[in-house]
Amino acid sequence: MRYLDFKKFSIYYDPYLIISITLLSIIGLFFLYSASDGNAAVLIKQSIFVFFGLILMIVLSQPDPQIYYSYSGFFLLISIILVFVAIFFGPEINGANRWISFGFVTLQPSELCKIFLPIFIASYLYGVKLPINLKNTFLTIFLILVVFLIVSSQPDLGTAIVILLSGLYVLFLAGLSWTFIGSALAIFVISLPFLWNNFLEPFQRQRIATLFNPDLDPFGSAWNITQSKIAIGSGGIFGKGFGEGTQSHLNFLPETETDFIFAVIAEEFGLIGLTILIGLYFFIFIRCFYLSINARDRFCRLVIGGLSLVFISTLFINIGMVIGLLPVVGMPLPLISQGGSSLISFYIAFGIIISMASHKKLVPR
Amino acid sequence: MTEINETYKEKISFNKRLIFLYVTFGILGVVFYYQIFNLQISNYSEYEIAAENNKNEEISVQPLRGIIFDRNGEILVNNIPTFDLITKPFFIDDPDDFLLKLSSFLEIDEEDKKVFLSQFKKAKTLNKELTLKQSISDEDKAKFLVRSHMFENAYVGERYLRNYLYPEIFSHSIGYVGRPNDDELDEIYEKRSLNKKINFTYTNQLIIGKTGLEFTYEDILTGEFGNNLREVDARGRTLDEKISSEPKVGNNLYTSLDLKSHQAAHKAFNNRKGAVVAIDIKDGSIVTLFSSPTFPTNQLANGILQKDFDELLLSEEKPFFNRALKGRYPPASSIKPAIAMYGIEEGLIDWDFSIFDEGFFTLPEDGRIYRDWKEGGHGDTNLFKAITQSSNTYFFDLAYRSDINQLNKHLSSLGFGGKACIDCFEEDKVFVPEPSWKMNKHNFGWFKGDTVNMGVGQGYLVSTPIQLAKYAYIMANKGKFSDLSLKKDLVKSEKSIEFNKFSNDDWFKLHESMVNVIEGNTGTARRLRERKNYIVAAKTGTAELVSGDNREQYSETRLDDSLRDHALIIAFGPMPNPRYAVSVVVENGESGGSVAGPVAISVLNSLIQE
Repeated sequence: MRYLDFKKFSIYYDPYLIISITLLSIIGLFFLYSASDGNAAVLIKQSIFVFFGLILMIVLSQPDPQIYYSYSGFFLLISIILVFVAIFFGPEINGANRWISFGFVTLQPSELCKIFLPIFIASYLYGVKLPINLKNTFLTIFLILVVFLIVSSQPDLGTAIVILLSGLYVLFLAGLSWTFIGSALAIFVISLPFLWNNFLEPFQRQRIATLFNPDLDPFGSAWNITQSKIAIGSGGIFGKGFGEGTQSHLNFLPETETDFIFAVIAEEFGLIGLTILIGLYFFIFIRCFYLSINARDRFCRLVIGGLSLVFISTLFINIGMVIGLLPVVGMPLPLISQGGSSLISFYIAFGIIISMASHKKLVPR
Repeated sequence: MTEINETYKEKISFNKRLIFLYVTFGILGVVFYYQIFNLQISNYSEYEIAAENNKNEEISVQPLRGIIFDRNGEILVNNIPTFDLITKPFFIDDPDDFLLKLSSFLEIDEEDKKVFLSQFKKAKTLNKELTLKQSISDEDKAKFLVRSHMFENAYVGERYLRNYLYPEIFSHSIGYVGRPNDDELDEIYEKRSLNKKINFTYTNQLIIGKTGLEFTYEDILTGEFGNNLREVDARGRTLDEKISSEPKVGNNLYTSLDLKSHQAAHKAFNNRKGAVVAIDIKDGSIVTLFSSPTFPTNQLANGILQKDFDELLLSEEKPFFNRALKGRYPPASSIKPAIAMYGIEEGLIDWDFSIFDEGFFTLPEDGRIYRDWKEGGHGDTNLFKAITQSSNTYFFDLAYRSDINQLNKHLSSLGFGGKACIDCFEEDKVFVPEPSWKMNKHNFGWFKGDTVNMGVGQGYLVSTPIQLAKYAYIMANKGKFSDLSLKKDLVKSEKSIEFNKFSNDDWFKLHESMVNVIEGNTGTARRLRERKNYIVAAKTGTAELVSGDNREQYSETRLDDSLRDHALIIAFGPMPNPRYAVSVVVENGESGGSVAGPVAISVLNSLIQE
């Protein structure tokens, strides 16, 4: 929305987003320090990511959206190539090939797809007339499915789902016809049993089953969720205090630094802490909503809307899982969970959002 | 104009759809927030209790094992305190750094370090303690204690070691304890309903009886695990540990074993291979159960170097093999009194019946020659002489006239081919060679010659030292006996062998003839006479491992130690009212009378002359 005028150049920025994101990141470091049992190495590494991530965000806010528009295909292609590099040349960790190792840091290129797929689709649908015709609809869906399948073959179901959603959001926002949506939903519901039997791994079915009946297997797949609920519930209104969460520190909670960090926050800071945290996220959503409504053109609208919804979805899937309303799937708490790839990808997303929001089209008066 | 319209339409559509999605997420957000509210406010107390229960953990406390005594109240096995360096991995961030810090003033074996590092992660996750160094010296203890302020994550704790006071003497009878393997571990956890965490009393942590009495009486010796309730804070530090039930020390085990007789046996064997078993005739309890060579039980129970263990395991001498319970030896001439009993009972012979022994027996069916040990034979031979001088020819003739099935039944009643002891560890009951067994095993029918060989305890008949001892015990007690046992004062029923013809007078004469084996001037063990000051009845035996057809061939086989004959003796005394029965086998000892005899007499001396 705004820019600072210097003699030779201007800096584009959005004060609301930059302040709230920086605040969230710093609070995140604070939470992570407790969740990692006061591990200084984890904190330092994450701080470096936050620092350079914030700088990257500001840098990416500077180019004109036109550049993202022109190079969106190129960015997507690079992202997909990197995913393939991870599949074929990356180190295998826990039976998955999701990472590319750079020695001092390993990055997960599939995180980039969830940014550049919606941008590419937005640029593709930029000039398409309303309502979007069947040909364009199918082409877009085909592209989304291809990227989805590549990433889910790593395997990485969590990120693949977000990628699928990111594409569909843009397609929907761009004006996918309601008739199509209706028939697609009907087909999906009808084929649900078939998908259940053929496309889900036994452990994934188990996870969904325990969601509805945690007593089914209290020490197996439901263990994580049971312990997570105990952690959140025992936090109460005020929480147990920083570093005092027994569930988190006595190893009852799994993955305290990554997927289940929300439960750590809930245990140590209670409902008040969570309300403040959720409030910060809420502020970012509302700001993004405002920015996309007021974006300068259709491309910027679609990109801001799409990317912000990716951010919201990640948050909701993570929290839904931790509080036991959604099945367990690997998903970080955005801007807080340990892990550079997720963090950096959201800084990139917000950098692009700010760029789209702060550059005004020069309209001849 | 159309383009502007189009743009406007598109913008309205976009806004509507964006609002739709945001509202959807908004509703979802309300649902989520409601769930969080439910967890943290409505059900707070329920989850608070669950979290409390999580951090209060039940811990099992290991009891001390019972002490093992000999029959006179001498302690054979007890527990001795030692000091261990115990670590708390939960509070150790970098195990390598931790070891480095300790190594600067303490010497820690590479082996110990390796074990520590391999178990570190699991112990850290479960907040379990991990022993780094066992039985540290007083000096090391002092070195650590002055620096203990630097180590909140380690301490010197008192732990116990299972201590075998006579480690080389009771190796086979008492056995040893050791760490359970994975299967045994699961079983223990289930059987004693143990918690995940255990406060160990022993430096070797969970221990169970692996062999011998330690194994047989595991349940008596173990005692009962106690329970503690430990409360920890968020950093895993113990806030409080309450005792909910004290561990119960295991019961002591009073055995019938006699320390002095074992010491005598150990000395007499002097590491030769063999076994001795002695029985208290009063109640059939085992006073001596000794197999030689032995092995060091303390090392096996409390840690032995792999190299030393392999050496024991692969040794030609087979020290782990319990010869007393599992060694299969032909009873040789020591079987003769049993055959004599059979002959009298079946009316085939009496004490007056005699044959002319010309040094061999000829099988009428095929003219095959069965030789006596004495060239030229014993001349006119009745049963009394046949036993004292151990005439083979007499018993070849008697066996020839026996029915193999009846004979087998008789031998079984004397304990051959059956389990002798009710609480021994892994006893081999061997078998009595039935004709059907030979058919199955060798695919050959039973020849008359096989029965003839059995008459002198050779051929297919084999027995263990404990069976020979039981047989001697039955004879000493004139047919009455109880099952053998190692635990003192075990209630057992008395059994007896039913005879029709074999009378009390026959018992008297049988004893008399066996007394003459030592006390008579022509007895095969007359050289033992001076070694004692009471009367002993005995029967010697020399088990041939290789039967030579002629004397030259026989002398050749004697050159190889391992092919030399086994020396045997069964004995009981003091006569006429015997108190102990004993059997001795000395592998490759050659002559029963002069090699096994002295061992039997030393053991009897130690038992009788106390």
